[in-house]
Amino acid sequence: MKRYLYYSIPLGIMWCFVHGTVSIQNFLFGLLLGPVVIRPFRELYDFDQELSFKREVRKIPKQIIYFLVLIMEITKASIMVSKIVISPKIDIKPGIIAVPLRTRTNGGITAIANTITLTPGTLTIDVADDRSVLYVHSIDASYPESIRMSIRDDLERFVLEAFE
Amino acid sequence: MSFIISALNVLSTAVLVIGLIFVFLGMLGLLRLPDVYNRLHATTKVATLGAFGVMASIVLNVGFTPIGIKAITVGLFLLLTAPIASHMIGRAARRHGVELCAESVIDEYIIAGETD
Repeated sequence: MKRYLYYSIPLGIMWCFVHGTVSIQNFLFGLLLGPVVIRPFRELYDFDQELSFKREVRKIPKQIIYFLVLIMEITKASIMVSKIVISPKIDIKPGIIAVPLRTRTNGGITAIANTITLTPGTLTIDVADDRSVLYVHSIDASYPESIRMSIRDDLERFVLEAFE
Repeated sequence: MSFIISALNVLSTAVLVIGLIFVFLGMLGLLRLPDVYNRLHATTKVATLGAFGVMASIVLNVGFTPIGIKAITVGLFLLLTAPIASHMIGRAARRHGVELCAESVIDEYIIAGETD
């Protein structure tokens, strides 16, 4: 029962945003609707995980920073791809690169894959079955090592701080 | 007061135009780039930023009214779902054996259970 309440809190906040007015009544109504949504999709929620409300709250500032950085990265990525698109002759060296992963959790892999897709020049294609490798399509794969390095050192550390 | 409102209106229009330019460039990339994977680069990144720009312009225009908050929500969902859609399209294409374009320099992808 406690878990239902716990997972309902983000759904309650989301209900406020979808409805368009952020108020206590709306939040409580969303909280009430939460279990109705969670029950059919029970398998998607981790019911065995240890709960720590404090830890989740402490991660929120890092997640906000992550979102701001993400928007910056998308802007850079768009300008880069736009330059390629409007150049008179398209000169690219694309390729698929295998990038090793350190994290094994569902949430971590999802966050990293999404971040890779939205950062300059790279696009996640697939995850290996044993979750150790991410296949990344890069629009400029002339130096695969440097792409691997930049994903591991800059992105992964950053994402793990916010989501683990 | 009216100065602030007109400044916000100008800013909102500017963001809208920038967003639409990015949407246009995304569609141009869809037409010009060589294969599925490169085209996904154009549609996910550039067109997402374009749609995000349109949403930001709505927020600047109407402020934090119900419509503005709904626009923020739509923007956040776009940010979350666009990479997943491109991921699924790329994965499906690769599993169905769509080849990389001729300019490609490297391919380290191994499909489970496939030997070659």
